[in-house]
Amino acid sequence: MNTLLTVANLRKSFKDKEALKGISFEVYRGEIMAILGPNGAGKSTTIRNIMGIMYPDSGEIHFHQQTGKGIPKSKIGYLPEERGLYKDVKVMDILLYLADLKDYPLDKAKERIFMYLKKFDLEGKENTSVEELSKGMSQKVQFIGSILHEPELLILDEPFSGLDPVSQEVFKEEIASLAANGTAILLSSHQMNLVEQMCDRLFMIQHGQKVIYGTLDDVKKQYANFKCVLHGENPPALLEKIPEVDRIEYNGSRSILHLPKGIIPHHWLKQLPDELDVQELHINRISLHEIFIDIATDKHLVSPEGGS
Amino acid sequence: MQNSMKVAKWELKRNLKNKTFVIGLFITPAIFILFFFLGSLFSDSDDDTDNAENMTVYVNEDIGFFEEIESINTEQDFGWDLQTTDTPQSEITEVDEPYTAYLFINEQSLQENRIATYTSEKADPLFPGQLQTLSVPLQVMKAEAAGLSQQEINQLMEPISFVEGTIQGEGEPPSNIEESSLFDLENPLETLIPGIFAGIIMLSITFTGMAIFQSASQEKKDKIAEIILSSLTPSELMQGKILGYFMLGLIQVAVFIAILLPFAIWQTDIPILENLFVPRTIFFVVIALLSYLMFASIFVGVGATMSDVSSAGNLQGLVMMLPFLQFVIIGPVISNPDGVVAAVGTYIPFTAPLTLLIRLTLLDSWPWIEIIISVAVIMLSIYIFMKLAGKIFKVGILLYGKNATPKEIWKWIRM
Repeated sequence: MNTLLTVANLRKSFKDKEALKGISFEVYRGEIMAILGPNGAGKSTTIRNIMGIMYPDSGEIHFHQQTGKGIPKSKIGYLPEERGLYKDVKVMDILLYLADLKDYPLDKAKERIFMYLKKFDLEGKENTSVEELSKGMSQKVQFIGSILHEPELLILDEPFSGLDPVSQEVFKEEIASLAANGTAILLSSHQMNLVEQMCDRLFMIQHGQKVIYGTLDDVKKQYANFKCVLHGENPPALLEKIPEVDRIEYNGSRSILHLPKGIIPHHWLKQLPDELDVQELHINRISLHEIFIDIATDKHLVSPEGGS
Repeated sequence: MQNSMKVAKWELKRNLKNKTFVIGLFITPAIFILFFFLGSLFSDSDDDTDNAENMTVYVNEDIGFFEEIESINTEQDFGWDLQTTDTPQSEITEVDEPYTAYLFINEQSLQENRIATYTSEKADPLFPGQLQTLSVPLQVMKAEAAGLSQQEINQLMEPISFVEGTIQGEGEPPSNIEESSLFDLENPLETLIPGIFAGIIMLSITFTGMAIFQSASQEKKDKIAEIILSSLTPSELMQGKILGYFMLGLIQVAVFIAILLPFAIWQTDIPILENLFVPRTIFFVVIALLSYLMFASIFVGVGATMSDVSSAGNLQGLVMMLPFLQFVIIGPVISNPDGVVAAVGTYIPFTAPLTLLIRLTLLDSWPWIEIIISVAVIMLSIYIFMKLAGKIFKVGILLYGKNATPKEIWKWIRM
């Protein structure tokens, strides 16, 4: 793996509160790495420390594409969570200014602006004032601003927030395409379904420390038990007879049976009683969304393999 | 520095494309010219009224002085309607006809140094002053009658001046006093014009500098600060803004002067250009630029503590008023450039630049020690304010959505 960014033992405190308690991770070239966690977990603080907008109390941030110290700002694209654009300027002007700040050649930037405006359905808007754009259009212009200079590392803090599903899809495709072309992408998001669809690896953070770190498949294998969703009129007494079930959620004719670690689904299915009313039945692993909710609410209903 | 230049260029371009700024750029000198015309319009109309009521002056004299009066009237353009009269002085008790005067000049009145004059109640207010110009030729005539030579008369008529006691070197010719008084006569314009020029620069760039306030808080209002700071450091952004608005201020000054200077040269007889291109102009302009740097650093720092200019708190509002503090003491400084207010104002950072400029413009001899201390105070203030502004800006610019409290600002400064 070609590592682009290494974060090692990052610590940061505000007043008496320790926001980051020594987190470490890496971002590789050509991958989409998600940094996840509930509000206040320390995602944006981590990102701001990487970008040099804040300074860590201790720990190391190392950009492998640069030999000396410091942040290779012109090689990084950044879309912060709290973002906007100057209101009283034209789309072309602000994008060229952002490209200029990244030392990107302006003639090349101009070409790419036209290309991206077309791609994001904003063709002909280059001379429109930013204040005349809708929120979604403005978000697209901000996104273009962060990728215009062909960054090697793209950091996106909540890139999908405030976007309609169509725009979400456009962003998702572009992010995937950038990763396919070798850009390392570090993104934070609350849209677990999108993260699940796009990311290669994830780093989940809670109370400023690592909870989960690994590839999406590994994380699912490690953390996500199987669950069986059963549609049918089945009395609780009957369901409770089913062996190897940790917990049952009753919801009228729909019941969710949480299975313990290490279960082999097709073996378990053979143990179902004959009198069971089965209208529909799904067996799948617990989703990233459920893992996230579980961690965010500190229920600890799921735990790494070996635990219960 | 390269990044600061990019920010400066951006601020420059953004404002020059802004209609409000461009209109403001031309409207200020236009207002000046308009007021000038309005002023001259009113004064013209006054002149017209005066001219319509020229004085009729009846002269009763027997010493052959009438021709002299006629030539003075023409030379000085008094506009008197001169008439000779035989009416004796005893017949005149009061003058009923308005804008009329009677002069009785004879040997006796010349001996007594008293010329009997009767003027109507309604008369040209300048008339008494105009009459005084007749005194010198009358005295000359008297001296000639006494048999004095022309040289003696010239010596006698030369005014006596009181010169502040300066010790002359033994060998120094007394003509030095004359040279020095000649220099003093030219001095006012030589300092006044550079002073006014630097004053225009100072006010113009300081007021343009106030736009930094808005520009810094706009970064927060538009929530773009973090995007910009992903490409440069907060101090580069801050320096870029200070530089950008400085250039905007200079453009404003250039436009102002380009419009007003030809107009002033055309409308007045003052030798502006000759007095403008003198070494002291450079020194005055340096003071103006230092003043800008000081206020700009304060504005950019405090601007970064506000989420919106319209929601400025008490502290921010007070800071906005700082440049106006100078105008509070402008009256006492002008009336007494060597007074206590002027001297104290020279050492207070916020009032020092303008006070110094006014004092140097008005004073004949410069108090060099005070000047050096004052410039040092200004430069030290710039250094301190820049440092503080840097600290405030770094944190404040990212604090979206709220104004910082004085307590928070103090905390950032101590960080």
